[in-house]
Amino acid sequence: MDTKDILRKAFDGERINEQECLQLLSYNDLLELGEVANEVRFRHNPYEVVTFVVDSNPNYTNVCNVDCTFCAFYRKKDDPDAYTYSIDELIKKFKESANRGITTILLQGGVNPDLPFEYYLELVEKTRKEVPEIHPHFFTTSEIIGMSEVSGLSIREVLIKLKEVGLNTIPGGGAEILSDRVRKKISKKKGPSSSWLDVMREAHLLGYKTTATMMFGHIETNEDIIIHLSSIRKLQDETKGFTAFIPWSFKPENTPLEKHIKTYSSPYRYLQIIAVSRIFLDNFPHIQASWFSEGKKIGQVALHFGADDFGGTLEEENVHAAANFINRSTKDEVIELIHGAGFDAAQRDTLYNILKVYHKKPVAQST
Amino acid sequence: MIHFRDKNLIPIWEKLQSGIELTFEDGITLYGSNDILSIGKMAHWLQREKVGDAVFFVVNQKIEPTNICVLSCKFCDFAVKKTSPEAYEMTIEEILSKLNDELMEVHITGGLHPDWEWDYYVGMVKEIKKHFPKIDVKAFTAVEIDFFSKKFKKSIEDILLELKEAGLRTLPGGGAEIFSERVRRSLFNQKIGAKRWLEIHKIAHSLGIKSNATMLYGHVETFEERVNHLLKLRDLQKETNGFLSFIPLAFQPGDTGIKMRNQFTSAIDDLRTIAISRLILNNFDHIKAYWIMLTEELAAVALNFGANDLDGTVGGERIAHDAGAITPMQLAKNKLINIINDANKIPVERDIYYRPLKLYSEKIVGKVSYINTLPFFQNLNFNNYKIFTAPPRQLGFLFKEGFIDAGIISLVDYLEKESDYRLLKYGIVGNKNVKSVILYSKVPLEQLNKKCIAVSDETSTSFRLMQAILELKQGFDLNYIREKISYRKTNLSHFDAFLTIGDDALKFMNNKPEQFKYHYDLAQLWYEWKSLPFVFAVWTVKNTLSESQCEEINQLLENSLKKFFDGKIEIEKFHLSNLKLSSGEIADYLNNLTYRIGVDEIKSINIFREIYDQLKMSNKNIMNLIERF
Repeated sequence: MDTKDILRKAFDGERINEQECLQLLSYNDLLELGEVANEVRFRHNPYEVVTFVVDSNPNYTNVCNVDCTFCAFYRKKDDPDAYTYSIDELIKKFKESANRGITTILLQGGVNPDLPFEYYLELVEKTRKEVPEIHPHFFTTSEIIGMSEVSGLSIREVLIKLKEVGLNTIPGGGAEILSDRVRKKISKKKGPSSSWLDVMREAHLLGYKTTATMMFGHIETNEDIIIHLSSIRKLQDETKGFTAFIPWSFKPENTPLEKHIKTYSSPYRYLQIIAVSRIFLDNFPHIQASWFSEGKKIGQVALHFGADDFGGTLEEENVHAAANFINRSTKDEVIELIHGAGFDAAQRDTLYNILKVYHKKPVAQST
Repeated sequence: MIHFRDKNLIPIWEKLQSGIELTFEDGITLYGSNDILSIGKMAHWLQREKVGDAVFFVVNQKIEPTNICVLSCKFCDFAVKKTSPEAYEMTIEEILSKLNDELMEVHITGGLHPDWEWDYYVGMVKEIKKHFPKIDVKAFTAVEIDFFSKKFKKSIEDILLELKEAGLRTLPGGGAEIFSERVRRSLFNQKIGAKRWLEIHKIAHSLGIKSNATMLYGHVETFEERVNHLLKLRDLQKETNGFLSFIPLAFQPGDTGIKMRNQFTSAIDDLRTIAISRLILNNFDHIKAYWIMLTEELAAVALNFGANDLDGTVGGERIAHDAGAITPMQLAKNKLINIINDANKIPVERDIYYRPLKLYSEKIVGKVSYINTLPFFQNLNFNNYKIFTAPPRQLGFLFKEGFIDAGIISLVDYLEKESDYRLLKYGIVGNKNVKSVILYSKVPLEQLNKKCIAVSDETSTSFRLMQAILELKQGFDLNYIREKISYRKTNLSHFDAFLTIGDDALKFMNNKPEQFKYHYDLAQLWYEWKSLPFVFAVWTVKNTLSESQCEEINQLLENSLKKFFDGKIEIEKFHLSNLKLSSGEIADYLNNLTYRIGVDEIKSINIFREIYDQLKMSNKNIMNLIERF
């Protein structure tokens, strides 16, 4: 089919298939893609509103046994700068965060085999009890698989126990590219893509809400990206458990994968991925612009190419900072960035309920 | 086609497609709209109409001879007083030490120094030209020119002429800030205002010094003030056609105290300002995305929002850097090339006048920028190829350098590379006449011997055809001068005749130059001489392509032609207003041409090849062709 016809089809609200999506990924008219993605975006979210969450992204440990080649954050147990926080240290951090107005803690860490399952359960339980202002958005699928290994429980049992102590959302990290060809090369020990998808499926079936991420711009091909998008679209058809899709481009500095990457993924590619995923993932309520990995300006532009969520304020973001890519922001700045992009800003919680709307200034004569 | 979210933009789109210039109100409507994609699409459309997929850059260096300045403008945190510990002054030797043979252009601006002598400035330009003849000098904003004029008690004309004499080529566009008395009084009340800035550029243009224009936005100015700024520039451009490019400059708050340090303009304001500039400044060829201030990432996106120039490698960018621009000081040429390729554009290394020197992209199709190639291109879909559009002579230069993989190329340029390229079955052919290659003369053709003829600087083949007719057939001895030829230009009167081709020639069709009573269609003269059609350009591909790939392209071209000529020819209004012709006139013109290369055409090419070889042998006449910009 002619690419223009595919775009027409998507514009009219019809689902496009994998082959058609592949064609869009190699289509070179960025603004045509953006226009259709924007139409789909307003179909999902008809208001000129962009949401964000006031969150923090600490890491409880950097000890990890998964050895992914794209990661600059992890350490071995005996490395001098290896760390693992105690539960009390973390609760103290969370309390400080709550005092600063933070509503969500996105907590991820390495897969540290020395931590017992009880550590995780206690952490969730104490967070709910002692810091009720905070919504725990804890543990990627890799950590949940790690818990299953450490405890001898099934994934389902781990998720049930975590749910009992108060966890009801998990972040979508660790998906990387859900193509086994790529995973074997960049994150062999993380297991095949089905392991990520299986944990997500179990979680959704138990009533968890989760996000889905995608890390591109390394050794993947367009076909790999299609496999990724198609896998999560199918799962979403099944479970409706995904709230948002968050693509971000690989940051090579200080990672073992760096030497295999010739250039940074371009902003042009990022916007193309945002637009194509908005078009293809017609069952996802939200697409998130990752301003912390792409830069504030490109984050703003992404809001016109299909994204309707600006992610978090990210008071603490160690994983990207370790790759010399420090990009922090405060709530006020996030609101100003969203306004600057021409949208009202709405603070949301982890489940995308709107807490407060910050209206932009009416389009005035002056800037 | 554009799906407008903001329906208020539709009338603007209709105007643009009809080639009607936008008004102040249109500018305000654009700035009031949040439909950034539609604005971007309109700007990208106009950008491609003007320059195709080309994005220009120059290997350049910025020199700021001093930061000592007699002014104190609120938005500047570059300038200091003489007593400041940060004050510096560069000697001419220091300036020369920052230059090298790789550079094509140097950009010189600096503070208004209280003590320096006039000779120092003139000497600076002279010494640069002496040591680096290849480097073109772009120096001194209108603010500095005004300062020189007052300080050294010379007229603006004298200042500019002395600098031109020393080797100055163009003026940079800085110092325009925002054309608003209100803002000037509040932020830079010691600096020249709009009137003086425009006056100085107008004088420069009249002296043959081209210049750029800028606008500083994102401080305290209003949208009205921005739109007014653009309209003032457009008005002057109508008068002089002396601006090469427009550069919107995002205000960098830094320590200026006007805004908080990290309050940069929003990406959306940057993109729409570039797009709106593209749309309002319809008489500017080039809009620049100045990556140093925009960030590399946003500059890359801007290449789809109306910008077709990334400035250059720049070098020491002190002013913007001091105020907090986060881009590294020196971006290697390769980085610029990558940015442009990532945006699916063609990286074009240029000189100071935007003449293309090198292309850095694979798979390029060359397209002569004339309406007569429309029958091929209107319905042509070359997957994975980028289209580079230029007048025949520029295209021929790049073709001969090997940068073009396929395309429609002026005949003589093809003949130069016959062994490396294959001829396809298509071209642009004048049967018994062509209507767009015309020699206008004050005297009958028979009396042209020993006269001086202006030759369009766009022609490759037509010039040779004219030489063949006048020198070989008539036996004349002539002088030629390359000129930019425009139907609006009045300074052709000192020539006895001029040769105009392509779209410029079509514009003369209904605007015949009064003094030049005699006109000759060169295809007609050829026909009268050889009883054959004349092939002006041919479709050709690198002979690395296989026979079957060639056949594929032949088929694409055939389909494209059939589709174009099937039924009534529809010409976009945009072209009509550009060419000053009616739809019927253009249809007649296109119908009159032949696009297929048959037996007669091959015969004609063979005859002309011999003639061309003969012309090349007698290089006396070629020596007479004075290259002048």
